[in-house]
Amino acid sequence: MIDCLSSIPLQASFALHSRVLDQAGLLFRLAFSNERQYRTMPTHGIGKYKHLLPKEAPKKKKERQQMKQIKTATDAEYGTLNVKVSGYDMILVEHYSQYIHNLCNRLGVKVAESYALPTKSTEVMVMPEQGTKMYVDAILKTHERIVQLSQLNATLCPTFMEVLLKNQPEGIQLSVKLHTEADYQARFKARPELEGLMAQMT
Amino acid sequence: MAAPCSRMASRPICQFITNVRRTGLKHTGVRQISLGSACRAATQTRSKTESVASPWKLYGAVCLQRLPVISQERNPIEDQFAELMHQMELERSLLSDHEQRLLEDSERMTRKQADNYDSDEEEADYGGQETITAQDQEDTWEQKLKHFQPALRDRDVGGTPLGSVERCLGDSLVLLVQQTVGKETIWLLPQAQWEAGETLRQTAERGLSSLPEADFKATFLGNTPCGVYRYKFPKEVRTERCVGAKVFFFKAFLSAGSASQKEPFLSAGSASQNEPFLWVKKTELQGYLKPPYLEKVDRFILNL
Repeated sequence: MIDCLSSIPLQASFALHSRVLDQAGLLFRLAFSNERQYRTMPTHGIGKYKHLLPKEAPKKKKERQQMKQIKTATDAEYGTLNVKVSGYDMILVEHYSQYIHNLCNRLGVKVAESYALPTKSTEVMVMPEQGTKMYVDAILKTHERIVQLSQLNATLCPTFMEVLLKNQPEGIQLSVKLHTEADYQARFKARPELEGLMAQMT
Repeated sequence: MAAPCSRMASRPICQFITNVRRTGLKHTGVRQISLGSACRAATQTRSKTESVASPWKLYGAVCLQRLPVISQERNPIEDQFAELMHQMELERSLLSDHEQRLLEDSERMTRKQADNYDSDEEEADYGGQETITAQDQEDTWEQKLKHFQPALRDRDVGGTPLGSVERCLGDSLVLLVQQTVGKETIWLLPQAQWEAGETLRQTAERGLSSLPEADFKATFLGNTPCGVYRYKFPKEVRTERCVGAKVFFFKAFLSAGSASQKEPFLSAGSASQNEPFLWVKKTELQGYLKPPYLEKVDRFILNL
């Protein structure tokens, strides 16, 4: 009796043990292949986890570039200022603009943007005394870099400007202006076909 | 005391445009700085009546600086390092268009002078000889360079007087004037007493423009003062209503076109009593300013 009793759990345990092994084998197979179990199988939906993760927003298409808000001046701070560095020597221009950017980071002035305007080439033509035909003497390229500052404190401004002016390299022009929408629009290329169509519409 | 400061803070700064350029030596001894239209909103003067007048007299002073015109000379170490860097960059760099043209032209010349020169083949490749070779261009450029005479670095061979603006072109100079304060005539930064109804910056501008015999065009950098010097009058002069004076300093830079400049006297070294103003470097301030005054002024003059 006892033997019978003891043997049944053993058999049951064997059966259970074998079923667990089967399931383990099944999981192993499912993990390493793309098999799914059919709907009627008890293991249907095993291994699903995506429904447990938090829902993420659907991916938006990239929107058109919008202009950042131009800040206006308040009592204690200046609005959006454009510090324009221009010159013939690209090395000096780049290094000076990097210096200004780093200085702003250190002093706590927020830098909104830092970009370059297209290079302008100027041809220097020389007319000799004897002839009338001019010939090209040299080509000078003017490089421009702009550092856009957003919140310059009025108390910090004189010191900041002084440091900038005293560290200005040779041959570099520095200009500080208020940022306008016209400046922003000037960065884009003109689209003649679009403008023609718009003119036709109106 | 509270009045001018708060008025300053409440003035909205609408627009300001600054245009700074480094000019060549021959134009002026001074960098061009031009201030565009700074339109400010109408200042509303505070109409609150001050029942208690403060016992301090207020002055607005201007620290007018002339920025350096030429770059400073290098130390020996800086010289060596610059040479080393230049050498390294040269060795690492690639050939430019012009240098490649030079090489090609020289190769073509050697091929021309060789015995088995086939002119048809050469010209088929190039489509006709070029009239100007790169070497010719280089020669013309060298000729032009020989004609160019750079100006001397310092014009003061003998030592220009301290009153001249074109003194040390590599350093920044500060303007000092002689004014009578109390009973004595001392050297200090140009100042004027504050009058009711104007901001301290306007006081400083007035102090600068009221200097005799000199017409300096200055660009003020901002509305905020950069330093303050406070002193009490000696006991004899002190009354109930004025205990002492406070001087607020504003920074400004000399812009181009300082019109009527007197001919500098050709006197040696130290300033004589005839000269009304001086341009001095920061290191030379010690010889002219009083110690407590110098201590405060030293703090805001940058020695860059």
